[in-house]
Amino acid sequence: MGIFDRKDDTPKAKPDFSNVQSGSSSTAPAPTEPTGTTGTTSTSSSATYVVVNGDSLSKIAKREYGDANKWHRIYEANQDIIKDPDLIYPGQTLKIPGA
Amino acid sequence: MPLRIRAQAALVIVLAFALAACSRPASTGGATTPGVRVTEVDLGRSLNADKTIGDKTDSFRAADTIYAAVVTEGSSSNAALKARWTYQDGQLVDESVRTIAPAGKATTEFHISKPDGLPTGKYKIEVSVDGASAGTKNFEIK
Repeated sequence: MGIFDRKDDTPKAKPDFSNVQSGSSSTAPAPTEPTGTTGTTSTSSSATYVVVNGDSLSKIAKREYGDANKWHRIYEANQDIIKDPDLIYPGQTLKIPGA
Repeated sequence: MPLRIRAQAALVIVLAFALAACSRPASTGGATTPGVRVTEVDLGRSLNADKTIGDKTDSFRAADTIYAAVVTEGSSSNAALKARWTYQDGQLVDESVRTIAPAGKATTEFHISKPDGLPTGKYKIEVSVDGASAGTKNFEIK
């Protein structure tokens, strides 16, 4: 009898966390931008994002703006460190312009 | 004899280096963060106006928004506070970084939610300051 018993070896699918919504705020002020820079004058929090494995600009844009097509905004704000928008590296700290 | 003395001298030098190495704090290669240190990480379902947790708990429901309030002390012109949320065996749920310039005690909140509900199970949030781990907190979705 027992020899026909089968263990359920089917691996459980990992949960999908791609639509997790996250955010943050602080009682501490955001760092001030160095003077002399050009570009946006947004007074919203100057967010930064540290690239992790598996990230792409569109993925970060989806997370930050809710729209993957806005990846070019991040690219334009970080052209000093991103030479190719298809190549970003874990550990890079990207500036995230205000939405 | 001179050879023996030389060997003893070499041994003394090796021991001195070994002792010096032992007296250093363990490091993972990152610089220590002299300015900001985490003194408290609290979890709950709601926030007060000062970003502290209104109802501390480590047990949540799937539909809850989970807030983590990270209390820091010290000052810095630019400190990167990171919250890394993981599920059960380490599956990444979310990772957020907030750069702050505190001058004294400050509270920074991170939060996550999932429109279709967070899966039940055990979770962990790890907080780091400028890349150095500064505390973890476990919680559960029931």
